[in-house]
Amino acid sequence: MRIWNSEHTFNHSWDTVVTAAWRKYPNPHNPSVLGLDVLDRRVDSEGKLKSHRLLSTSWGFPSWVRKMIGMQDMCYASELSTVDPENKTFTLRTRNVTLSNIVTVDEHVTYCQHPTDPNKTLLKQEATVTVSGLPLCNKLEQMMTDAMTNNASKGRQAMEFVIDKLTKEARELSAEAQKCMDTVLPHANTL
Amino acid sequence: MKYLSKRAASMDSVGTDCRELKRTYDECFNKWFSEKFLKGVTEDPCTALFKVYQDCVKKAIREKNLNLEEIETDVLGTEREKQPPPTT
Repeated sequence: MRIWNSEHTFNHSWDTVVTAAWRKYPNPHNPSVLGLDVLDRRVDSEGKLKSHRLLSTSWGFPSWVRKMIGMQDMCYASELSTVDPENKTFTLRTRNVTLSNIVTVDEHVTYCQHPTDPNKTLLKQEATVTVSGLPLCNKLEQMMTDAMTNNASKGRQAMEFVIDKLTKEARELSAEAQKCMDTVLPHANTL
Repeated sequence: MKYLSKRAASMDSVGTDCRELKRTYDECFNKWFSEKFLKGVTEDPCTALFKVYQDCVKKAIREKNLNLEEIETDVLGTEREKQPPPTT
């Protein structure tokens, strides 16, 4: 079993980051996430939003690994998440379903408001990787945790990409609204 | 924060027939989430859209005979939600 973890700070408010997180895919930094479906979603009695999602990925294993474990093209993972708007936390737990009898990847992610700066958001990620029943277990586990470090960096780039996109959309909307006002108001004053 | 209603690139669904239903539901959810839920309005106006989309996804999972026995679609609100993943 191998444990991997990572921390990062976004220079954006928690509201912005969480809104962007729901719109994270598709993005050019995570091309292996091919499909995403919401299996269930509800607001619980404490006002927290609970979601259960199904991710379809290509995982991107090298071909020698795929041949060794007889891997099919599409892999599936289950994600359970909770958004707590009062405490400003968003927690996600993702684990693979496909090949779970051979390799288990269990990832916990938390986005929370920075304790001292409300304009920043902390991201904490932790994953455990266990490979069993195969030769080269340690090597495979190491490879996967290396891939996670690489993917975590891409994931952060993806979030910045989406936040940037949403900010641009809002600016374009403001500019359009301003143009409308500039056109309409001069006439309104003469009515 | 309102956003332009341009047709953004959308993700695939596990069921190709469900893609448009997913896109419509996601648009409703994203709008409600940022404009209402984060401001304390917990009533979800997208439930009807979600039901149609959810039925499509469940059907696609069944039709593909996906061996997703651990992905039971009714986990939220049950004891299974809090269970750790199975160890082998």
